[in-house]
Amino acid sequence: MRTLAVMIATLVSLTLLAGGTVQAAEDKQLFEFYCAQCHGLTGKGDGPNVTKDFKTDPRNFTSVADMEKLSDADIKNVVMDGGAAVSKSELMPPWGKTIAEADVDKLVAYVRKFCKCKAKGK
Amino acid sequence: MKRLPVTVSILAAAVMATSSYAGGDAIFQKDCADCHYTVGPAREKTISDQLAKKGPELWYAGSKFQKEWLLSWLQDPKPIRPMKYNSLTEKNPADHPKLSAGDSAAVTDYLMGLTSADVKAGVIKPKKSAKGRLIFTKKMPCSGCHQYPARKGKIKGGLSGPSLVGASKRLNPDWVYAYLMNTKVFKPVRDMPDFAGVLNPKAMEKVAAYVAIFK
Ligand code: HEC
Ligand code: HEC
Ligand code: HEC
Repeated sequence: MRTLAVMIATLVSLTLLAGGTVQAAEDKQLFEFYCAQCHGLTGKGDGPNVTKDFKTDPRNFTSVADMEKLSDADIKNVVMDGGAAVSKSELMPPWGKTIAEADVDKLVAYVRKFCKCKAKGK
Repeated sequence: MKRLPVTVSILAAAVMATSSYAGGDAIFQKDCADCHYTVGPAREKTISDQLAKKGPELWYAGSKFQKEWLLSWLQDPKPIRPMKYNSLTEKNPADHPKLSAGDSAAVTDYLMGLTSADVKAGVIKPKKSAKGRLIFTKKMPCSGCHQYPARKGKIKGGLSGPSLVGASKRLNPDWVYAYLMNTKVFKPVRDMPDFAGVLNPKAMEKVAAYVAIFK
């Protein structure tokens, strides 16, 4: 009986783990497809679009000082409506018509992980 | 007597196999279909579908490109995208297959026949306008992802999108407008934002007309 319980517990946790990994891979794909072109694959704001004539540096997501100023709602807003809508650079595009809202929520969490810092107001 | 039809069919097959006699469709199926699909509507549903493609979709090529450009590009293909297709780290290797003049004419005829009913002809006249320029370079992030000819012969802009340098010779202005208005019809999954609802139709016209003058 004990072995069975252990086996079931192991199975359940393995399944959960696998689910988590699939989820993480999906989030990474979203970030790399839509955001890394400017923010860079490691979130430092150094994607291939950032050439010498790129007027405003894309946010460096690893910067604790910059990221602590933003609440998760701030991040969601700027991703949906673009930089211009929140008086930031228009080079940050509006993604609300392109990326499903549920995926934007995943991106907010993903972006937050780069700085390992707390959201403003938390 | 029985041998005659056999000889004739062998001859016919030999003629068909020589590409200079084959139609553009046959050349395309043999040399190009591995990387490009030509039957619409768009097939991509997920990011993985887009990333699995080895080259851009061509099912509306006849609505998108200008014939003269296509005819010469297929013989001497110069990079359009600064980066390798679907890559953010590697440069375009500039290794696109080349066609002879004869094959290029046949394939151009074939591709120009692939059109989309979502592209209306005669809507956009290429036009330099302060409004179009303002949208492209200041109000919207277009220049963040696309190279374009800036003042004094300088080329500026980001690298993730196709270069728009030479768009006046390459792209059909009506397609540019249709693509901006109805992005998902042509490219349902892409790393360019959908601007429908962000820019109004008048602004789309202005920016399409502006892109259409890029030398
Ligand atoms: C075309 C380039 C570009 C792309 C693509 C892009 N960004 Fe940005 N992003 C910028 C720039 C430039 C800024 C800096 C704006 C400023 O400081 O004025 C920025 C800023 C931000 C900020 C900080 C906003 C603030 O209020 O400080 C967040 C969060 C962000 N981007 C998230 C994303 C996410 C998520 C994606 C992918 C869905 C993405 N960005 C795609 C260019 C880009
Ligand atoms: C190994 C894959 C591969 C093969 C084979 C191939 N292409 Fe391409 N093709 C590409 C890639 C990748 C691009 C993008 C090139 C660029 O941006 O510079 C492209 C671009 C094009 C374009 C421009 C499309 C656009 O939207 O910008 C046309 C037209 C084209 N190819 C036609 C052909 C024809 C005709 C053939 C056969 C003779 C062919 N290709 C064979 C990979 C391929
Ligand atoms: C975040 C980056 C990004 C921004 C911002 C952006 N684009 Fe694009 N654009 C792309 C990419 C990537 C493609 C190619 C998509 C594909 O083929 O999958 C593209 C394709 C195009 C094409 C078709 C070019 C061709 O040869 O196939 C045109 C025209 C165009 N964009 C115009 C614009 C205009 C006008 C704006 C501003 C209103 C704009 N783009 C903003 C990334 C961007």
